[in-house]
Amino acid sequence: MPKINQTIQETPYFRVLSEDQIERIYSAALDVIQRTGARFYHEEALELFRNSEAVVTDENLVRVPLSLVEKAIKTHPRKINLTGRSGKHGIKLDRDTVNFGTGSDLPFTYDRQTGERRRTTYQDVYDAGRILDYLPNLDFFMSHGIVQDCPNTQTYDRHQCLAMLEGCTKPMVLTSVDGEGLQDLWRMCSLFRGNEKEYRLNPMFITYIEPISPLMNDRSAVEKLLFSAEKGIPCMYTPCPSSGATAPASLAGMIVQSLAETLMASVLTYLKNPGMPLVMGGVTTVLDMLTTTYSYGSPELSLASAANTDVSKWLGLPMFSTGGCTDSKTLDEQAAIESATSLYYAFLSGANLVHDVGYMDSGVNASLESLVMNNEIIGMVKQIGKGINTEEEYLALELIDQIGPGGEFLTSEHTLVHYKEWFQPKLQDRSDYATWVREGQHTMADRIQSETDRILKEHEPEPIDKELHQELKKIVQDADERHAK
Amino acid sequence: MTEKLGKIADGLLSGNVEEVSNLTQELLDDGTDPEEILQKGLFAGMDVVSQKFKDCEMFIPEVLRSAKAMQGAMEKLRPKLSEASSSKAGTVVTATVQGDLHDIGKNLAGMMMEGSGFNVIDMGIDRKTEDIVNAVKENKPQILGLSALLTTTMPKMGEVINALKEAGIRDQVKVMIGGAPVTDDFAEEIGADAYAPNASIGTEKALELIKA
Ligand code: B12
Repeated sequence: MPKINQTIQETPYFRVLSEDQIERIYSAALDVIQRTGARFYHEEALELFRNSEAVVTDENLVRVPLSLVEKAIKTHPRKINLTGRSGKHGIKLDRDTVNFGTGSDLPFTYDRQTGERRRTTYQDVYDAGRILDYLPNLDFFMSHGIVQDCPNTQTYDRHQCLAMLEGCTKPMVLTSVDGEGLQDLWRMCSLFRGNEKEYRLNPMFITYIEPISPLMNDRSAVEKLLFSAEKGIPCMYTPCPSSGATAPASLAGMIVQSLAETLMASVLTYLKNPGMPLVMGGVTTVLDMLTTTYSYGSPELSLASAANTDVSKWLGLPMFSTGGCTDSKTLDEQAAIESATSLYYAFLSGANLVHDVGYMDSGVNASLESLVMNNEIIGMVKQIGKGINTEEEYLALELIDQIGPGGEFLTSEHTLVHYKEWFQPKLQDRSDYATWVREGQHTMADRIQSETDRILKEHEPEPIDKELHQELKKIVQDADERHAK
Repeated sequence: MTEKLGKIADGLLSGNVEEVSNLTQELLDDGTDPEEILQKGLFAGMDVVSQKFKDCEMFIPEVLRSAKAMQGAMEKLRPKLSEASSSKAGTVVTATVQGDLHDIGKNLAGMMMEGSGFNVIDMGIDRKTEDIVNAVKENKPQILGLSALLTTTMPKMGEVINALKEAGIRDQVKVMIGGAPVTDDFAEEIGADAYAPNASIGTEKALELIKA
């Protein structure tokens, strides 16, 4: 007989904040917006606010009534689909679907020949793209490094986007210099879809924008927000507060302030053109009070991000979270510990985009090996997400009875089927001591290195159509010419 | 008097802004040599603070509280110090270069320098090269501290140094630079006098620069 009154927990269940706590945080954020307000350094934005129910005082300080915030926040789509340039790789940003990806713009890269850090190049971003294109547990691509061997720093974003497109066919998150840069990136990606409207149906990237905590919005960030609203470009406005320095040292206070910053962006884009796909974000971490480092390995980062994710789900917004990153300078035990911890919690929280995988040295150094290591960690973490199936086949009552006391399961059909559901490590070593010695006593670091070598040697991404490639280059060249001094 | 000097040092350690300020005033009123208050009271106290910070016994928020107390006392003391002595704990102008909006690091570096007795004039973020040069002309600091956290704005630091040369005042000020993408090599390349990877090394180097 089928049972009644059953609750099946298909997967592990994790949350940091209760419904009541979320209400408190949201309510506090509304108070911040109405009472403290935020500054906007952009004339059109101020004009939009002035022509609404919002109040602008002291030149650029904007306070917004709750009614307007509540109207705006409801207009963003609940989900976003992204597809890579070739259509082969797609991701969904809907409630509790977790995707993993890199971070962007690391100024230094560990040279694979010398081991020394040096300034990141076009080739480095392209190689990171190829690695990402290959790794099965990584779903979206941010540039990892920042291209510095280009003619003009003011157009690096176009060169970077080209390197990313050449190297990787997965969906992307893109950073840009300013509104004009964003427009070029959007034009580049639209080429793959034919026209603007088709692109809107099938976007390839989310644009990355940040407020300046606490509660400031600079000209270029606002430019990008307004352009995204106009064109319906999926967009994240992701605060990067450091608890204790640019936000309260209490995590709840930091979360409230960050949410207020996000809600302000919601209102602004609503006034410009309602309905922009908005992703909530936040690299919410602590400033280390000994070293003054903005920490990418702190447990507070994971805790606050998971709490933010709870809030995002309650609001019905997709979430951009953080994991797989470290403050360590080398790919050592510290890097592994910090990466694993943050990946695990970001995954359990159900955030849609878990970024900064592979960030080292607190967001300063890039390493291709770190991507390969994290791919393995994500495999383990995802396995835990599978939960425990308690259906009859899985309770295996028949089998237990059939084998009986003292029997063995190795040769049963059931084993042959179900062992395949386990996680099979690719790089971790589970061999016995003698075998390990005989095979050369390789460490995890050795294995990560040779796997990275192998991928770089063997993996070629699907090429971009020749004509289209020329058009992409043209956009980059035009930008360079416009900016040539 | 020695007792009060000792109390100043203790007050700095516990970050008691009011007490340190009052004691400084009392000592001045008693006719104590300002130089002695500076050396035996304030510097003595801050030396202990920096040692404790190095030994991980004090953390940034405590150090900044001590720095605030130091700064309060310095405001009282500075006008009374002789030319020679006040230039020892000289003036620093700090700025984040044009196009760059990062300021936490620069602010921290400034606060730490204040804790060592420097008079810090902060110009804020996104400052044009010519404004920085003008601020140097106007305030005649011993040190100019520049911050850039972006590879895209780093070249502006070189631009500032060139502009100081063009204005004929390069030899009147030491330039110290900092920020995540900045390195020793880069500092050398653009002809800066020092590079500081963090705020406490920044303070150490600032003290060396004014001795040199
Ligand atoms: C917080 C942060 C922000 C905040 C800054 C808020 C603020 N009020 O400062 C916000 C969100 C605004 C921001 C914006 C951007 N950021 Co940012 N940011 C950071 C982050 C994560 C931490 C910086 C920080 O506060 N560190 C803590 C402080 C205390 O340390 P610090 O600044 O390094 O300072 C110490 C030392 O360097 C030194 N020091 C620094 N300056 C000086 C000066 C003197 C005189 C002395 C003596 C010492 C000194 O002493 C300080 C104290 O110990 C860094 C990553 C990193 N690890 O650096 C990225 C980082 C610098 N940002 C980066 C990027 C890409 C951006 C954006 C371009 C993102 C975008 N596409 O929109 C924008 C640019 C905005 C602009 N025009 O400036 C990149 C830089 C890449 C590059 N181009 O080189 C970094 C490296 C992260 C990354 N990999 O993407 N960012």
